[in-house]
Amino acid sequence: MKCVWLGSLFLAGLLAASPQDSDNNVNARYTVETVILSGKGWTTDLQSETTNKISTGLLHDLTSLIGHKLNPSHLDSLAQSLKKELSAREVIHRIVRGDVPEEVRVEFEVRPARAGLAMNVNQFLYNSKQGFSGSGEAALTTGPQVFALGLVSNADWLPERFSGIVARYEDRSVGTDRLSFKFEAETFHTQWNQATTAAMSTNPLDVPDLYRARQAFQPTATVVLFRPLTLTVGARIERFEGQGPAGPITAADAAIADLHYHQTLEGAGTQQDFDADCSLHSATRTLNTDYVYSLRTAGVRYQYRHGKQVILENAWGGYISGLAPLSDRFVLGNAEYLRGWNKYEIDPLGGNRVISNSVEYHYGPLQAFYDMGAIWDESQPIVARHSVGLGLRESVFSLAVAIPIRAGHVEPIFMMGILP
Amino acid sequence: MAEPSRGLQISRRGWLMAGLFAPLFPARAADSLIVTFDGDNLHISSLGVHFLQGKSLNRLKDGSTVEYVATVGLFRDQFASQFKRTESHFFVSYDVLGTGDVFAVSTPGPPLRRATNLSLSAAETWCFERIGVATTGLARDQQFWLQLELRTVPPKLDSILGPRGIHVDLLDVLIPGSDEKQIFRWGPKRLEDFVVTRQRGRAG
Repeated sequence: MKCVWLGSLFLAGLLAASPQDSDNNVNARYTVETVILSGKGWTTDLQSETTNKISTGLLHDLTSLIGHKLNPSHLDSLAQSLKKELSAREVIHRIVRGDVPEEVRVEFEVRPARAGLAMNVNQFLYNSKQGFSGSGEAALTTGPQVFALGLVSNADWLPERFSGIVARYEDRSVGTDRLSFKFEAETFHTQWNQATTAAMSTNPLDVPDLYRARQAFQPTATVVLFRPLTLTVGARIERFEGQGPAGPITAADAAIADLHYHQTLEGAGTQQDFDADCSLHSATRTLNTDYVYSLRTAGVRYQYRHGKQVILENAWGGYISGLAPLSDRFVLGNAEYLRGWNKYEIDPLGGNRVISNSVEYHYGPLQAFYDMGAIWDESQPIVARHSVGLGLRESVFSLAVAIPIRAGHVEPIFMMGILP
Repeated sequence: MAEPSRGLQISRRGWLMAGLFAPLFPARAADSLIVTFDGDNLHISSLGVHFLQGKSLNRLKDGSTVEYVATVGLFRDQFASQFKRTESHFFVSYDVLGTGDVFAVSTPGPPLRRATNLSLSAAETWCFERIGVATTGLARDQQFWLQLELRTVPPKLDSILGPRGIHVDLLDVLIPGSDEKQIFRWGPKRLEDFVVTRQRGRAG
């Protein structure tokens, strides 16, 4: 509870932080005619063009400058965001005379980095049922290449708590911007919840054994088929060390294919983002694997933004045939899906069928959501569960209380931390 | 005949080190400051002192706001024991649609003070008119030294929050952007040496 109060105070501090005063700048009286991004060999005029070099959110922030009075102090933070997203050495902004009197153009000049070194905290989450989860990495960037080494301890995503080291090499442009390559290596120590071990001992289903550690290597290549559709293909080679000092080592080697589509539509003061993806992990005998299974998932995500208001719809489902390792089984009742439910209460071993839907409404930092989902194993009955929640979200910081809808007692779950 | 450097016991290495480190201590000669006294406060004239220059001037001409900080210190001895210190902040901007060089200057409130449509030298003078140090507690026959430090505040780094979590650029932390700084030193002087004048900060 102490953590929840501390989190509330921190978020309140973030919300109360006042923006820099733009009245000090004499150019604040001018209207922004257009915003121009330029880099080595490219220029984009955001009044008439769009770009996929930057995230939708940042693109929205930049285009929303057009037609409004200039806020010079805001340009510094936008330049920093561009620098981060484009891994640039420096981003300089200039205000220059526009074509129309009393209007100015804002130019951002992106200077590419020769090398960069950064520390990233990608997740830091406290869940009142599952404890802390976090991941961070140090990343060295040289041009399009990234080398990263990180630490993870996560009790949120999977039926297990996995803790260990991840290493990543990424080349974001292999000869062409349309092709990228990534190689990830992971080594994790696993801890099991009592509910999981108890369920395993009485498990009537065909569920693979628990393990004490696992290592994985995952080389993948992503190609832009046609914008905005991308295809990722690769392999995941994973080894599991059985429980006990001389536990058997089992292999789960799978081919991976993932198709992702992203589209942004912008209207007068509105923005719509549509994401769809489907993926297939296929571990077959030909890959000499102990686990033979195929895992298929598909999801769609739609976001509508109008001023301070955001409506978000996220639907997702998955299906596993064959015998998949526990780390590949589906989970509901975490910080992303069916929030408010305890995953160990719903299905401590995870399931091989899942369906989930989430509707969210944001007004500024205020957030309300309704989640529903079902997780089950083949031949089990399907039980739909629902939850509602309220929270605050500022940037990546989130504080939420989620309540499972069920008969009997009300047992809310608190979640807070950094949730990308 | 011995070389002058040898006579002064300064080695070539000493000269080399002095040459290398001299730019790190940009304290100007005492002569470059003109200080006036209005009976209560000491004021510094903008004559011969220019701070709207260099990289900060380029930032201004790119449309940014640049914050300048002027710190005036009074010392009992040659810049070792400071007994008075005042700090003034100025926000300067440059009108990108203005005809010629048109600057605007303001001070953080309260009370908020602002001037627009100023030339470069007028903007500098406007700032200097607001720089002063009270002489209360300073005896008329007491010797003192004065130091003026002018520096820019580097642009604020963005919050470390990004769309994918917290991101800290270690190169920014290890090699922070340098601010521009000028130090002017003047003295020794006594209050009784001054002719009391109402003129504040104006050049000439």
